[in-house]
Amino acid sequence: MTAREVTELLKRGFALVQRTKYREAIVLFERALRLDPKNVEGWSLRAAVLIDMERYNEALASSDRALALDQNFADAWSKRGLALYNMSRFNEALEACTRALALNANDVTTWYVKGICLDELGRENEAQEAYAKSLELEIILDMDAERRRSRK
Amino acid sequence: MKSNMPLSKPIRRLIGETEGLLDTEITLLRDPEAAAGGTLIDVYTYNTDKNIIIFPASYIGLLKDVIIAKHCVQLLVKGAASKKSAYRVCSFTEDSVYHGMRQIYLDTLKDEAKKERKLPVGKLLDMLFILYTRFHEDISELPWNPIVNARIYYQMPQIRKTQLYMLLKEGKEDMDEMMEYEEIIPRRYFVLDKSMFYARDCFLAKTLPSDELMPVVNIPQMKKFNHLEVKEMLTTRWTHTAWYQSKYFGDNVLTIMEKHLNADWGARSSLDYYKSLYDIGVALTNSLLEYMTMKDWFVWESPGHLLEAMKKMDNYEHSALKKIFGDLVAD
Repeated sequence: MTAREVTELLKRGFALVQRTKYREAIVLFERALRLDPKNVEGWSLRAAVLIDMERYNEALASSDRALALDQNFADAWSKRGLALYNMSRFNEALEACTRALALNANDVTTWYVKGICLDELGRENEAQEAYAKSLELEIILDMDAERRRSRK
Repeated sequence: MKSNMPLSKPIRRLIGETEGLLDTEITLLRDPEAAAGGTLIDVYTYNTDKNIIIFPASYIGLLKDVIIAKHCVQLLVKGAASKKSAYRVCSFTEDSVYHGMRQIYLDTLKDEAKKERKLPVGKLLDMLFILYTRFHEDISELPWNPIVNARIYYQMPQIRKTQLYMLLKEGKEDMDEMMEYEEIIPRRYFVLDKSMFYARDCFLAKTLPSDELMPVVNIPQMKKFNHLEVKEMLTTRWTHTAWYQSKYFGDNVLTIMEKHLNADWGARSSLDYYKSLYDIGVALTNSLLEYMTMKDWFVWESPGHLLEAMKKMDNYEHSALKKIFGDLVAD
């Protein structure tokens, strides 16, 4: 097993996810994780694709595996939050999103999901603040993308 | 609703309301190749059994919410009209294409007479139908834009900031479109096209309360955007150009819009309400066509008629060219 092999599998898996070929992507992620069970990114990517496949319990377990390996992996907290949100466990989802954002405050989706959870919990003012932050980041990304497109 | 993506409460509520009122289902689809404003493929307009709202894959938060909201309201307007057996779209026939292209040709001749550098004949012939279809697209979409935006603004205050960002972005794109053809197409059509978008922006600037028009003050990129305040961007930027004629006609188009677009934008949702919005859109479209002397360019027909007409576009173009130019055009 080489680190390069694992990275390559994860990269190919990610490309398949972008083409919504989730079943094929999972196969590659799991191959990578058999080769390197301590690969935090691998567990986090697996969690992401399981969320896309609506297998939320498994996604939760996958993100927890990532966090057991590295408590400071922001993306794993983010996926944990997303899985819990989809299971309507809003308090726990909110906590996970908050942990994710403390590690990486530039995550549009996590701010957005945090806003939804706060909304569901009746904390509307805080929800609007989270949405505002999500929007701010999303607009910056959108304007950067526009700038790149106009240069081509 | 078919989707597993996170959606804010207001959007879920709107989707649920749309599905309930129309007794239908909506599928949301994220697509890297989607148009910036998203696409609605609906059962009332196309030969399909599913309503699908497609939006850019890069939009993951509130930006996708606004696109979904706009297409939900469009679906409600179409669906309400359809359920009252009154849904018609702007279509065309062989005759109406001929009328439109002939008028464009006559206006082109007037413009060409004043120019030193004439348009090559081949390009002129191509331009006739291209301009005709351009106006067909514009008149099919533009009258509904202020209706949908006003409705969303009043019904979904939670996404106003996002909506205003999208309006600014779309408005800038509309303003920049057709610029490369300014010296080629007849002046009249350039001015009329810009007038409609100018009037749309002015109507929205007046209708949407001004105190909301600074959407995201904390973003440096927004502050630097054209060095203008948001409200000014929707209105005065049009006058800071050489398009004075556009402003003159645009003010007239704005008057037409204001005459028709006087609904209660925050009213309770019902099929009757969305049917009334549809009727407003149709009346506005007719008034715009009358003002632009394009009444015989298009016909109100069923969506099926338009789908069939689109398949025959090449034939209609050729037939119109033959009628205008006779044997100069090859069979």
